[in-house]
Amino acid sequence: MKWIVQFSLAVSFAVSASAASKKKTVPAPPPPPYAGAYQPQGVDEIGLWREDDERERKLADSPLLIRDESLNAYVRNVFCSTVGLDRCNSVRIYVVRVPVFNATMTANGTMSVYSGLLLRARTEAELAAVLGHEFGHFERRHLLERFKASRKSTDLLSWAAVLTSMSRSRQLYQSFDMLQFSVLGNYYRFGRNQEREADILGIGYLNAGTLLPQAASRVWRNLILEAEASAAARGLKKPDFDRISFFSSHPSRGERANYLYALAAPDALGRGEGAERYAEALAPWITSFLDDQIALNDFGASDFIIGRIAESGWTADLWRVRGDLYRRRGHQRDLMNAADFYSKAIKLNPNLAAAQRGLGLSLIKTGRKSEGISALEEYLQLKPNASDAAMIRLTISSIGEPK
Amino acid sequence: MIPLTRHIRILFFAVLLSLCSSSVFANAYREKDKQAKIARTAMTVLPPRDWNRLKYRPGKYTEVWTLDGEQLNEVTFYAGIQHGKPIVKERNKKHSPLPKFKSNILLMEIPELLEGTYRAHRYVGNFTLTSAKPHVFLGYEGVYFTYNFTDRDELPRKGEARATIAKDKLYMVTFDAPRLHYFERTIGDFRSLADTAALAE
Repeated sequence: MKWIVQFSLAVSFAVSASAASKKKTVPAPPPPPYAGAYQPQGVDEIGLWREDDERERKLADSPLLIRDESLNAYVRNVFCSTVGLDRCNSVRIYVVRVPVFNATMTANGTMSVYSGLLLRARTEAELAAVLGHEFGHFERRHLLERFKASRKSTDLLSWAAVLTSMSRSRQLYQSFDMLQFSVLGNYYRFGRNQEREADILGIGYLNAGTLLPQAASRVWRNLILEAEASAAARGLKKPDFDRISFFSSHPSRGERANYLYALAAPDALGRGEGAERYAEALAPWITSFLDDQIALNDFGASDFIIGRIAESGWTADLWRVRGDLYRRRGHQRDLMNAADFYSKAIKLNPNLAAAQRGLGLSLIKTGRKSEGISALEEYLQLKPNASDAAMIRLTISSIGEPK
Repeated sequence: MIPLTRHIRILFFAVLLSLCSSSVFANAYREKDKQAKIARTAMTVLPPRDWNRLKYRPGKYTEVWTLDGEQLNEVTFYAGIQHGKPIVKERNKKHSPLPKFKSNILLMEIPELLEGTYRAHRYVGNFTLTSAKPHVFLGYEGVYFTYNFTDRDELPRKGEARATIAKDKLYMVTFDAPRLHYFERTIGDFRSLADTAALAE
């Protein structure tokens, strides 16, 4: 039963680490000295790395991968300046086009950064906070530990099931049920504690670096606000951000926002965040990422994200995307708003063909057909070879006389 | 008097019979030159070759047909989606609602409806509309469009669809197949099948 002792020691260590964070006094310690290039050790780790190597090979060929050199270089650069040059060489970063807030890490050092994360982060410091957290998993070999924990848990339960089935005692069956709850609960709590540990390491890198560490807490606060906006638009109850369910893989967002703020070094408050650099690096992609987001049919969250990006100023593309969001939901009131947003986009950039198209369609659906037709004609002039040009011409001719 | 065991036996066969009659939507052949109704609606097709109809139906008014399995060539019929309804069944109405069909939709917005459904329902990572042009479908003015997308299995696929709005209901037939080899191999079969689609009065 040596593993139970080790397991509980690990859990108590991580729990005490997160409990310490709640006192809001001690900032996260700087990262431990780096051991240098690491090679897998033992049959478990070597096997795990081999599997990951195979997955990485597939990932490198994935059609979802964003291969834009400058974007990849930028993300890598942010990562390397966060964790330090010696550490960053052990990790390969892949930017994938998946409109979900996430980043993942594997045991062999493959990091996937989702486009949904790049869309939601607004500054270099926010991105660095998430990348640092993921590297924390790698540095502490969390995936190996989790693999071992899962194997030990299932081994224990399998043997207990065999032994229980050999007896016919009702009491033993009840004990087995309780054991099952206890082992599963422990396993998921172990995973959550690893997340807390990675959070602590991640904020440690930020504290030791040059970017504002308080941004880490803001990432979670913004996700909370986004989830609230999403629930409100769908008419759902406000979600509880402090609740941890039995099978939760991560600590609650509320808890993370709180302890990450407490762990950030208070004397770092004057540091910069790299918001301009971030906006500049993401500029070629942000509209495509937004288009992916609004197609997910999550009105509240999408409108919240657009609003946040627009805090630094509305652009023609942002108005156009917002118009598309409202037009896709398609209530009559939405169409009026959409037409208004498209008009604003056109005011900022009269050559924005997509805005003319959206304006035309919205106006036609709200009954302002002649104005709609002239917007569509404008669209065809700007983009005569558009993929839907033939459909637009049909609409114009079927609705009324073209000018 | 009938003994009890016989009662049970009769009941069993009655249940079995009722199950057989209600299991219209088991996997089934759709034979060549035999007219087939789509999802018990007024939409019919006359298959020019044998097809398989799958038991799996993404929605009440839909049917999925295939030649080699739905991952290799998948024809989906959407027969008479009503105003305010999503085109496939929602997994969770509250937490992940799908875009709804509205009868005031413009023909050129139908591809956007399909895109939104694919992204939210099938977690499709990317979806690009490659063309859209007018097309008469089921005797009504409609739209014919093509698109590319990458499904959750990360296999790039191509798609082709025809759609129209008849009596305020959406009728559409789509064909999705892997871009490599399978699309070109069976697109002809799909086109000749879709050409036979008709709407009974």
